[in-house]
Amino acid sequence: MKKKLALPLALVFLAVAVLSGCSGEDKNTITFWTPLTGEDGAYMNQLVENYNATNPEFKVKHIVTADMYTKLSTVLNTGKGVPDLAIIHADRVPGYVEQGLLEEMTTILAAQPEIKEENYLPQAWATGTVDGTQYTVPLDIHSNVMYYNKDLLAKYGAESFLDDNVVTIDEMLSLKGKLETGHYVVNDALIGWVILAQIQNLGGDIQENGKPAVNTPVMKQAFEEIKKVADAGLMTPFGEDGFLQFQSGNVLFSTDGTWSSTAHASVEGLNFGVTNVYSATPEKYTNRASSHLFAMLTNKDRSDEKEAGIGNFLEFIRQNSLEWAKAGQIVASKEVIESPEYKEYMQSFFTSNEEQIKSLYIYTYEHYPYIQEAIDQNAADLVRGNVDMDETLAKMQKQVEDKIAQGSSGAQ
Amino acid sequence: MAMKRKLMPAFFVGPHLILFIVFVLIPTVYGIYASFTQWNLNSDPVWTGLDNYRTILFDSESTFYRQFWNGLKNTLLFVALSVPLLIIIPLMVAVALEHKKVKMKGTIQAIIYVPGLISISAAALIWSLIFNKQLGVSSNVFGSDAVWSTTQPYAWMIIIILTIWGGVGGNMIIYRASINGVSKDLYEAGDIDGAGPIRKFFSITLPSIRFPLIYTFVMTTAGAFNVFGQPLMLTDGGPRESTTVLMMYIRQLAFGHGDSIAGMASAMAVLLGVVILVISALQYYVMNRNAN
Repeated sequence: MKKKLALPLALVFLAVAVLSGCSGEDKNTITFWTPLTGEDGAYMNQLVENYNATNPEFKVKHIVTADMYTKLSTVLNTGKGVPDLAIIHADRVPGYVEQGLLEEMTTILAAQPEIKEENYLPQAWATGTVDGTQYTVPLDIHSNVMYYNKDLLAKYGAESFLDDNVVTIDEMLSLKGKLETGHYVVNDALIGWVILAQIQNLGGDIQENGKPAVNTPVMKQAFEEIKKVADAGLMTPFGEDGFLQFQSGNVLFSTDGTWSSTAHASVEGLNFGVTNVYSATPEKYTNRASSHLFAMLTNKDRSDEKEAGIGNFLEFIRQNSLEWAKAGQIVASKEVIESPEYKEYMQSFFTSNEEQIKSLYIYTYEHYPYIQEAIDQNAADLVRGNVDMDETLAKMQKQVEDKIAQGSSGAQ
Repeated sequence: MAMKRKLMPAFFVGPHLILFIVFVLIPTVYGIYASFTQWNLNSDPVWTGLDNYRTILFDSESTFYRQFWNGLKNTLLFVALSVPLLIIIPLMVAVALEHKKVKMKGTIQAIIYVPGLISISAAALIWSLIFNKQLGVSSNVFGSDAVWSTTQPYAWMIIIILTIWGGVGGNMIIYRASINGVSKDLYEAGDIDGAGPIRKFFSITLPSIRFPLIYTFVMTTAGAFNVFGQPLMLTDGGPRESTTVLMMYIRQLAFGHGDSIAGMASAMAVLLGVVILVISALQYYVMNRNAN
């Protein structure tokens, strides 16, 4: 009896030991990690499937990885199971390059003559350039944009706001006292990004000589300008779901992301269009954007052949990423955005002319993530006047400085 | 044969021991080590001695000091609000279910227990819809004007409501099982002596289930200190960081935006561990002494 029990137990024991050492790597497969946990992951799957259907020597295996950046840290530390290719966000590039975690794209660029700066949206390409070396190839730009409810604009005679592509805060304020109860001019979706856009509109920046600049007159002005809208009672109330209120047809403008267009389109009876995020000044408009970038993380085991395979995949994406437009994103490849099919997508508005393309602003300051975090945490309260402006800005500045002091490890 | 007898226990203990070492012991030891370093998870940790602890505990200018003490305050508040309710309500339910006239005890027990099986994130989504200003029952049926997740004290109320909804079942099962184990003779003797239900509860039931009570009290408290999912999902720590508990700060630092601040996060985690340890030990000591 004892013997009978001991054997299965020993097997379980063994299985645990063996499985924990399992990595399942394949020499002819490009392991491709992405943080695309939402609907966009399915569109990426489709793209990868399309590529694999061309029977390439190196097939791509797409793995949607939740908490990808944490997992990347783990595999990079051990050096085992590092993916061959990954999609990272623009704001990760400076930090990763500084820590030597990204491999150069030099050989791929040499092998694929069409993967070059001129064939991509300039800012998407540039986020991957550090000191003249290219570390990433862009897939898209995803941006903060402003959707508008066509029916409500007509109802309140506000269609003229859209004439010059800049909806100004003054224009919005002109609707004060004219709205029905329960209707609002704008919601507070992605309000932190709206603030970051105003900093550009007002001619400021989030850094001065490499030092974070949060507690600045420009930042204060950016908040004060947006606060005017809230103070006039034109912004959806604090804490309420502004995204939902836009979809319910109670809000004229919604400042959410390019990727929301698919969700808005699924709402029956919502007659909407898209334009630039509102601005504090009629002279300039900015849409705070980020970019999904293909990158190769440092991995000694990646063979030259595999790297060539990755090059082929990236070239395929450059030519065929129209599928990605379905996810609502602004595709980075010029070949795609200049095709007639792309024009049918709502987000083609943002690449319709040079000025529009310029409005998509990607922050590339090394410590940008800490600044965005601080702004996101406090923006809703600052805009509603729930907290003291000067005190909070000072607190934010201190938080960013403290985090920079700790986060950039002294090991280098 | 003798050899075999020696090996047998190892086979039984082995798998658990390995899992324990790999997933509990090594991470714990490494976490404590990390708390003495400055580390961004990517480059090698740099030994900084007690700097992290000094900053967190004494440097009142520092962001980490502010976060730690605010997080600890909010966590303690959560523990103080939730633990008594998580003991008293299940106890009352368990005692009530003992009454002769209560029918379908198994079904009632199951209904109360099931919420504990649902994942916190799924449950939080449902509850946040119930308290949603536009869609929810709270405003449409009960006519509440407040936006619950961003106004105090409502923000704490929904967190506590979700916690109790999900947490009552587990303790209730333990209390029911232990009440069933109390000798019926005692209650009969109480009847003969003319004791009422309240007297019987305090003089017979409570002393008889002393150990399950101590156990659930200590475990519920330790669990409450590790609260994370409810405030994250329901209030996102707001309004104005008044429901940001320590675990949320720890996670934000280690796995939030930008480079990880794992050293400081580990130090906060170790301090939280020490607090839980001290309080649990104290609880156990006080309750056990009084019980004797």
